Amino acid sequence: MIDAFHLPGLAEADVASWDVREYGDGAVRLRFPVMEPATLGGVLDTLARARAEHLADRPVAEIVAVVDAVARRFLDPADPVRRLAEDALPAVTGYSPPMARLILDRMAADWSADALERLLHEELGDPAVLDGFREGRRALGPELAFHIFAGNVPGVAVTSLVRALLVKAASLGKTGSGDPLLPVLFARALAEVDPGLGACVAVTYWPGGSAGIEGVVFERADTVVVYGGEAVVESVRARAHPGARLVEHGPKLSFAIVAREALEATQRDATAADTARAVATFDQQGCVSPHVVYVEDGGATTPRDFAAALAGALAALEAELPRGRITPAEAAAIHQLRGAAEFAGLAGRGVELFASDGTEYTVVYDPDPTFEASCLNRVVRVKPIGSLDDVAGLVRPYARYLQTVGIAAPAGRRRVVAERLARAGATRMTDLERMPWPPPTWHHDGRGPLLELIRWVDLEG
Amino acid sequence: MLDFEGRALRTELIGLFTRPIDEPLTDDEFTGLARRVFAYQFARNEPYAAYCLRRGVRPETIEHWTQIPAVPTAAFKELPLVSGKLADAEAVFRTSGTTRGAERRGEHHILDLSLYHGSLLPSFAAYLLPDGAELPMLSLVPSVREMVDSSLAHMIDVVMDRLGADGSRSFATVATGIDYDALDAALERYASEGTPIMLLGTSFAFVHWTDHLRERGMRHALPPGSRLMDTGGFKGRSREVPEPELRATYHELLGIPEDHVVNEYGMTEMCSQFYDSVLREKVVRGAAGPRRKIPPPWVRTIPVDPETLEPVAPGEVGVLRHHDLANLGSVAAIQTEDLGRLEGDGFVVLGRASGAPPRGCSIAMDLLVEAARARGR
Repeated sequence: MIDAFHLPGLAEADVASWDVREYGDGAVRLRFPVMEPATLGGVLDTLARARAEHLADRPVAEIVAVVDAVARRFLDPADPVRRLAEDALPAVTGYSPPMARLILDRMAADWSADALERLLHEELGDPAVLDGFREGRRALGPELAFHIFAGNVPGVAVTSLVRALLVKAASLGKTGSGDPLLPVLFARALAEVDPGLGACVAVTYWPGGSAGIEGVVFERADTVVVYGGEAVVESVRARAHPGARLVEHGPKLSFAIVAREALEATQRDATAADTARAVATFDQQGCVSPHVVYVEDGGATTPRDFAAALAGALAALEAELPRGRITPAEAAAIHQLRGAAEFAGLAGRGVELFASDGTEYTVVYDPDPTFEASCLNRVVRVKPIGSLDDVAGLVRPYARYLQTVGIAAPAGRRRVVAERLARAGATRMTDLERMPWPPPTWHHDGRGPLLELIRWVDLEG
Repeated sequence: MLDFEGRALRTELIGLFTRPIDEPLTDDEFTGLARRVFAYQFARNEPYAAYCLRRGVRPETIEHWTQIPAVPTAAFKELPLVSGKLADAEAVFRTSGTTRGAERRGEHHILDLSLYHGSLLPSFAAYLLPDGAELPMLSLVPSVREMVDSSLAHMIDVVMDRLGADGSRSFATVATGIDYDALDAALERYASEGTPIMLLGTSFAFVHWTDHLRERGMRHALPPGSRLMDTGGFKGRSREVPEPELRATYHELLGIPEDHVVNEYGMTEMCSQFYDSVLREKVVRGAAGPRRKIPPPWVRTIPVDPETLEPVAPGEVGVLRHHDLANLGSVAAIQTEDLGRLEGDGFVVLGRASGAPPRGCSIAMDLLVEAARARGR
């Protein structure tokens, strides 16, 4: 049994009852305290005291060093924290063990000193503005940030906690049912490395929307960071304190574009392999995961043949990076989508299906260029376009949901299409290979992740 | 209209519809009929035949009805699945779906309405009127005249016409929704007369109406023998209310006891429907057994493994597959994405596919369509 909470100031005796949940057919059992408004209020008091004592006046460079030490523990295969994360994440999240290891490696790299310093410089210029006035400018973070995590991509939650630490905010994180563990392991490791900072971060799970508990937090949090679907974001928006700053990461969609140059015989397989990796990473559950691949006509490989190659690449990847466990409803949705595609083909619409025997991967070639959302878990549509110029018009109706576009095209054409897509609503353009792994400095959903937490204070004259 | 061979099969099926509802066919009997219906469809439904041939299945290869390939309900959105001539269809029912344009709503072309009605009436009568009652039927679904392509509106229209007493009518219109005042007035009148009635509607309509009653502090004490049929999921059209809670609300605000609340489970893609067993068992046997849906003799339902689509072991949860012989003019074997498991002589539905949004921060297609529409306006 693993305790899936880190609640500074909460004694075992304060907890009236416990919730134990099994994951992966009982392979892992997690224990959560059933939260009461009063006990949570006590935790928030502890966070406030700890922040005043250990965080508010801590130089940002020291915070970076502590987080870096924690990141190293997650990257060290021999460290107990890394081992626990590796062992438990597959059962808890459904991701396959190789996927869980890949996610840990890539996400923890974003918490290293190097990555954090890049982020601080990119956003603030001189990070010391977080410690005091520098040339008449001072950056102040929130006192208490309340994070509501989605849980579809483990690690995103930790990154959110790290950003809050950098701006010297205490944090309460509510984990998502999809990953109730990794942010807890991070907070606990942080407390081991630096008990003072560890007391400024609380993480636990309760069923989302629990009015009594969340009311206590909404009352006191001056910043609310929410990751989730439309309904969750709307509900939080309605309930957050009117004066609180709201940082929203609502539902987003990503897609890929392959130019005819990337379909040359020498490049085709690499392009297909990179696309497959972009689809397969996070089993397509990331906001950065592509739903559709637009493939330009007129190259050495037809869009239809590219769909076949993509299916081949997904099949090859299955050994290295297997698709994880999915729910019966998700599997049923995949069969429905495949059946619809097969009958669309039989109806003479040129639709073709390239799929595994089981539900592991599905590529649908569909000549209809309309943008469509996938049912996820490695289900992707390949659609032909006459020219890269066509794509912006196709995705513009969904502007508010657009995020990452993975582009395989020569630099000149890439710049042109990037400008059009930027105007159509996309917030991040990258190559296919980097699609799943944005740099630490990315403007997540078009905003600066530290800038949206702080307020600037000017001292004039 | 069916062709000559179809009419011969229809005669046999209509004979089957008169069979006592509690006397299922043997497996061999069902397979025999299912094979003939399959052969009929295989010869007339080209895309379905091609789908079967890809799986190496032909009428001659069928040894058991479960080997007949099932068509996913989503396929009905892609093309007309007619076993015969499209122009011969007597009705078309469409799924409500959201709005990707008409071509993306599921369409069920009905070649012969007499099969639809022939299946509907005995089954409805058996599970909602097992006592032979003739009741005023009050519907919360707009009339079929307003919703010509809704199978639910059609069904309610037919049962009101054929099985309802005087006063049966709809209390809703598409434009104005449910006329609460007229409905409440009618219920008060029936209550004061001591006339039991039947209420029919979608679950979300009942949620809206009972919320309205509660807000106004109103309740009805409907006479004994009154009953209620609700159907369908919520699909975001009201708050989600678990079935037991909804039944408790019916009892509290309408005075209808739980064993007189019958949930209907039907789908546009099927001519036959399923009903909770409780009322029939209460009337026929004196006590309601576990709430479940019992297929009529001409329908079989099995849960299949969501990954492999093979039948699951008894008692295990799977995705429901229905084999409805009344679907003679389209496709008999229908693969849903509804989860369920067998329960004795019937089955229970554990979750209707509701287009539930994908996990985490991803997005459901519905929302995407809404976004496109909002911009189009």
